[in-house]
Amino acid sequence: MVVRSVSQEKPKPPLSGIVYGEVAYWMALVGVIISIVGMGMYFTSETNYVNSKCLLSSLWAGKDAHTIWEECAENVPHGHWYLEKLNTGDGVAMLGIALSCLAAVIGVWLSFLTMLKEKERVLFVAMSFIVAAILTASALGIISLKH
Amino acid sequence: MTFSKLDMKHFGIKTIMSFAILLLLQGNALAAENNATMGMSAPVFFIVFLTICIAIGIVAVLAGVGGGVVFTPLMMGFTPVDSFIIRATGLFVAMAGALVAARPFLRSGLANIRMLYFAAVPYATFAVIGALLAGYVKETMGAVGEAYIRLGLGVLVIFIAMIFVFAGQRIEYPEVRQVDGFTRRVGLAMAYWEESLGRVVNYEVTRSWLGVLMFCGVGLTSGLFGLGAGWAMVPVFNLVMMAPLKVSAACSKVLIGIGDTAAVWPYIMGGGIFPLFAVPCMIGLMVGTIIGAKILLKVKAGFVRWLIIGIMLISGIRLIMKGLEIFGVM
Repeated sequence: MVVRSVSQEKPKPPLSGIVYGEVAYWMALVGVIISIVGMGMYFTSETNYVNSKCLLSSLWAGKDAHTIWEECAENVPHGHWYLEKLNTGDGVAMLGIALSCLAAVIGVWLSFLTMLKEKERVLFVAMSFIVAAILTASALGIISLKH
Repeated sequence: MTFSKLDMKHFGIKTIMSFAILLLLQGNALAAENNATMGMSAPVFFIVFLTICIAIGIVAVLAGVGGGVVFTPLMMGFTPVDSFIIRATGLFVAMAGALVAARPFLRSGLANIRMLYFAAVPYATFAVIGALLAGYVKETMGAVGEAYIRLGLGVLVIFIAMIFVFAGQRIEYPEVRQVDGFTRRVGLAMAYWEESLGRVVNYEVTRSWLGVLMFCGVGLTSGLFGLGAGWAMVPVFNLVMMAPLKVSAACSKVLIGIGDTAAVWPYIMGGGIFPLFAVPCMIGLMVGTIIGAKILLKVKAGFVRWLIIGIMLISGIRLIMKGLEIFGVM
């Protein structure tokens, strides 16, 4: 029989999981809030990185991302372009998006460190390290699409 | 008429209106040469997509699927927006929703952290490969690549709809008769407190080697097509590895947050995310998910399952038609 009651005491959830959950949640939430602030700036400011009219017409025309960047921002961004454009609404909004996307990266690293501290089995520590390394390589642009 | 029926009537009208807006957008796109922005300013565009995505979020929750799996085919089938941008945004919205939703599952211990990392290695690896493949197809194959992506996604979406129709049954507490040697050595089993039973549930899992193979495929699909993958992950955990249904659903939600993060960064670095498009879609799906979860407590939403099956079938057919159009077949 698979499902069996072994104890009436609530089992303690692994700390590594709780750490990941908290970090991912709060970072994603902060990222969402920053992106909303960025959009507010985008609508009220005249100086934005990507021209909104050009962007809208290009999206409706079905133009690809590369062409849209060339026509509406005058250059194709590479890597973390928003870090140099934090004085613009879309730069701030993109910072928020990036923060949300970094939430799992930071969360998994902290979860890995917690696993090490809690002396979890080596196999799972190694797995969390591999996942953290994949996410980091992806976020740093080491794994990237060439444009 | 009861309150809940009235609620559902209003909700149904809103959903149909949102779908109508999408159809209108698609129709108006034909006149885009005369009116390039379709008469929309940036704030109006923001509000329109926010509304559409709230409706998608509500419908998705009521139908028991993630918003990401509905968003991508619907947007690719019914808007003229470039598929690379839609897939990047689809991955982002699926990821953001999963990150916010994961917290209670990990705090309660319902999501098994060992199973998570065990599945995350193949899933994240192949999600990245899928994202890179998407970029490769776009770079080297041009319009033909776009057609293959649309055709592939169309077939996949119809397949997912068929899964909902014919294989909707899941097992709350699967019975593991024998744990294979590999799974026993890995040691994935854990225990959690089941509130509804008022006791600890100590469960086993099995066939984890088969699960790894399947997560490779699920990750590839998710990264390539920009879909959330809960529709595939829950059955792998529940029916292949025989984890309890609640544990499977919790692990799937957390895993989407991890795996899609790996896949979304190549899209971001490739310039696939535009805040004006991504932010309203993200907020809309999150708000829709919250509203949908509240409605779900009040109503029997069986018909919504058929609504979403219908939407997915229409989206799938539309995607195949678009793909064939590019090939010049239609």
